[in-house]
Formats: sequence, C-alpha cells, structure tokens
Amino acid sequence: MTDAANPLAPRGPNKQPTLWEYISNDVRTLAFLFLLPTVLVLTIVVLYPFFYALVLSFQDKSPGVPARFIGLKNYVELLSDNDFQEIFYNTVWYTAVAVSIKFIIGLTSAMVLNQKRRFNNVYRTILFVPWAVPTVIASLIWLWVYNEFNGLLNLVLVDLGFLEYGTAWLAEPKLAMWSVIAVVVWNGTPFYTMHFLAGLQSIPKELYEAAEIDGAGELHKFWHITIPSMAPVFTITVMLSTVFTSTSIVVVNILTNGAPANVTQILPNESFSITIEAGRMGLGSAINMVLFPFLVVFIILLTRRLLSKEAN
Amino acid sequence: MALTQKQSKTLVRGVGGVILFILIVWTLAPLYWMLVTSLKNNTEIYSADSTFWPVNPTLDNYRTLFQKTNFLIYFRNSLIVAAVTTFFSLILSALGAYALTRLRFPGRKFFARALVYTYLMPSSLLFIPLLIIIRGIGLQNSLEGLVFAYLGFTVPFCTWLLMGYFMSIPIELEESAMIDGCSRLGVLFRIVLPLTVPALAVVAFFSFTLSWNEFIYASVLVADTDVRTIPTGIPNFIVEDVFFWGPMMASTLISSLPPLAVYFVFQRFLITGLTLGAVKG
Repeated sequence: MTDAANPLAPRGPNKQPTLWEYISNDVRTLAFLFLLPTVLVLTIVVLYPFFYALVLSFQDKSPGVPARFIGLKNYVELLSDNDFQEIFYNTVWYTAVAVSIKFIIGLTSAMVLNQKRRFNNVYRTILFVPWAVPTVIASLIWLWVYNEFNGLLNLVLVDLGFLEYGTAWLAEPKLAMWSVIAVVVWNGTPFYTMHFLAGLQSIPKELYEAAEIDGAGELHKFWHITIPSMAPVFTITVMLSTVFTSTSIVVVNILTNGAPANVTQILPNESFSITIEAGRMGLGSAINMVLFPFLVVFIILLTRRLLSKEAN
Repeated sequence: MALTQKQSKTLVRGVGGVILFILIVWTLAPLYWMLVTSLKNNTEIYSADSTFWPVNPTLDNYRTLFQKTNFLIYFRNSLIVAAVTTFFSLILSALGAYALTRLRFPGRKFFARALVYTYLMPSSLLFIPLLIIIRGIGLQNSLEGLVFAYLGFTVPFCTWLLMGYFMSIPIELEESAMIDGCSRLGVLFRIVLPLTVPALAVVAFFSFTLSWNEFIYASVLVADTDVRTIPTGIPNFIVEDVFFWGPMMASTLISSLPPLAVYFVFQRFLITGLTLGAVKG
C-alpha cells in the first residue's frame, strides 16, 4: 500500500511534516518533553537533597560555615548518647501505638459506616472532617482542649466528678505521650476509615449471602470474609501510614516539642530542633539517617505493592 | 448464648449505632470547643467555671485577629502558595502521567518506580539539604521558594493518582481520534483531559490541601513575617500574647475553612477517586 493510496494521509505524499507536527507525533520526543519538567523539579527538590542529606550526615556543618568531613563522628555521638536511645525507643513506640489505634478506630468507623442507616452520608462526611483539618490547626485546637485550667477535657472531667482539679495532660510524664498520640489519632484516623470503607464496599455481597445461607453469624462472617478480603487494603494502608506517622513532626512540635524531659520527643522532631535551634545540620541529618533504613524496608515493600496493584 | 441470625443482626446494628454516636462526639468535640471559644470574651474564656457555650457571644476575637495581628498576611500568602502550587502540579502531573501511561518509551517502568520512591520520601529527611539548596538558588524567604519545594511532594503524588485514572480510559478512544488525524497533543487536550475532569478535581484538591497544611518546609525556608504562611504564622500568637486563646481559636477556625470548603465541594469525586488510587494523609 502506497502513501498515495492511504486514505488516512490527507496531506498527500510530498508534503514534509513541520517540526511541530513531527514533535507532536513522535512518541519518544513527546515522552521526553512531557517528563522533563517533572524530572527537573524532582531532581532538584527530592533526589539531590536526599543524597545531600546522606553526605551531610558525615559532615560537621553549621549555617553559613563551610562543611567539614568528620567521617562517622555524628553517628558515634548519637549511638553513645542515652537521650538518643530514649528518643529512638519513643519513636518506635509512638509509631506502633498510633498506627494500631488508628487501625482499630478506622476499621470500626468503616464497618459502622458500611451498615445500612438513614443519613449515612451525613455521618460519613462528619467522620472524615478531621482529615480536612490541617495538622497544625488540629494541634493548636487540641493544645487548648488540653489546657490545664480552662481546657474542654478538664472542664468535662471535673464537671462529671472524675477529677477534682484539672490535669496538665501535656506536662505529666505518664500522660504526655498518650495525649500526643490522641491528637495524631484524631487527625489521622479518617485516612484509614476512607481506605477501609472503600475496601469494604468492594467485597462482593454474594460472599455474605452465601455464608448466611450456611447459617454463619456476624462474628463468623467478620473473621472469615471481611478480614481476609481486606488483607491487601490493610497492608497498604498500614505501611503508608507508618511512613507518614513516623516522619511527621507537626503534632509533637506544637503540643510539647519533646517535653517533659524528652518523654514525647521523636527522631524527626529531634533532628528539627538540633538543626534549627542548635544549627548542627550534619548531626541533624545523621539522626534522620538512623531512622531511614527502617523506612526503606517499608518504602520498597510499598512500592512493589502499589506498582503491582496498578498493573492489575 | 445462642442468638438467631436475625437477633445477632439487630444486636450488631444497635451496637453500631452507639459506636457511631461516640465517634461523632469524639470527632466534633474539639471543633465545637474551637467555635465556642472563638465566640467568648476573655472573662468567660478564663473564668474558673467556664461554660460549654458562650454566655454573651461576641465577635471581638475576630476583630482582634484581623486588626491587631498579621493573620491576613499569612492567609493571603497561604492562598497564593496553595493556588500556584496546585496550578503547576496539575500541568506537570497531567503531562507526566500521560507520558507514563500512554507513550511507549525505554525506561518507562523505571520512571514509574522512581515516582513512588520520591512520593514516599519524607520531608523531615529532606528539609536540611533543601534549606541549603533553596538558599543557593536565592529563593530563601520567598513564596516562590515554598512553591518550588512543595512541588517535590505534590507532583509525584498527583502524577501517581492521575496514572490510575488515565489507565481507566479506553485507549480505543484515543486511537480512533488519531486515525481521524488528531495529533498526540490534540488527543491529550481534547480527549483525555476532558474525560478526567473528576480526577483533575481530586488532584487539585490534594495539592491544595497538602500545600495549605505544610509545616516543615515553611518553618525552615521562610522567616520574615510578610512571607509567612498560616502553619508557621499562627503558632507564633502563643509567643506574642498572653491572652491569645480567643483570637487563636478564631484564626484556627478561619484557617480550616478553605480546606473544609474544598472538601465539601469535592467530596463526591473523592469517594470514587479513593477506590482508584492511594491517598496521602
């Protein structure tokens, strides 16, 4: 078949395509042009900073002063520091507890919202609201709720007779971390609820109907249909949330900034304080790098999961 | 205890109702407290027996906020940064997602993978070198610098979301348009993008709220009052004044309105969008 005979070549065989026509139809050139801005931006603000952070962790660097290579000294300083060990332990504990509670409340919320009920749309909208409230704002609101003398929490507890005086929720060593976690949970649970609700709604109704015909009760259906069907959603949600929860500094930074005596301090916020307040950028980077290997495991597993999900 | 299927169903529904009630109270209580506080005068806020509602509702806190603080500057800056970031994220991610889902070229898989890695890279790890880099290119203490830094997390996430949507559009539509003489660019702008308006809405929603909420970069890259955004501006009220809780709650209330408004408008799209892609939160 010649070009002249091809009805799909309307311009005739002799007409050379203009440069513009050439570019807009050549797949490789087009792909290059489309991806170029994204690649440029991400190289400058993500990729390069990442390697830079790695290099910084082996340096002694203050703002405005040239960097000096000091090998592993930052890491040695950290590992021999008792405070650092405590903060490391705090980070793991805080992340594990916050993620678990968000998981439980999120699953409960999703299952309750998945029941047939009048005005369900309204309830769903309400339960998702904290997710749309910026974390800084949520932290400030809760700072006021926790206020020792005039906060809502103490007012309610004293009015109901549970307490005689207000408690300093954020200053009491035994309560401080729990108070911080409560805010993380309040702000972060809707993320779980959304994922879980979407997951629940994609379970085929026939599975439940068949089980009911076989005489299965509610608990049986929950353990043998709901939980197994949701396993992939559980994994992705928990992994994503673990990465975001363990690296987010906002709630800790605003509520306590690590007080009392490092009880609520977590690694990313410690890195933030060391870098900004003490001006030790190298040591600050090293703190983050200690957490990073743990994150890498999650990040690699997650990437694999997300990509295989996309391929389906 | 043996329950019939019908009884246990009723029981589960009843328990569900009680749980739902508790969840709603837990969700709304802090927000209610914010609203109530913002409407009280100082005497009521700090009295030994505070009430759960304003006895003499007043807008004084809002007046103080607008007249005596820099709140309006922060608000304006946040709006500019969020809007401009959203604009660029939309363009970059639409182009990128189209290339990654529809154009066959070597290294496509690698780019898709790299995108997820960058999306998961925590900003608490990147802020130290980023501070040096942004200073190096002379964008410190500027809204441009913030927008540039924010593209680092909005673009990977938005591209990722859009890829999912693009793949759900039947490729035959594009093929037949190209047979009719439409160029690749024509296909993208006349066929793919109009079909993905709901997806673009979701993407716009995410980049707007993510930029509106951002805290770490905003606190290190920007120091001057006239370029501060809400997340780093209003926590400073604590330092500036002793009796600040009234204006503070007024400011948190107003600052929650833009993301909440966007949330209510886009809700319909969000729920469908969620089943298709991941959500950052």
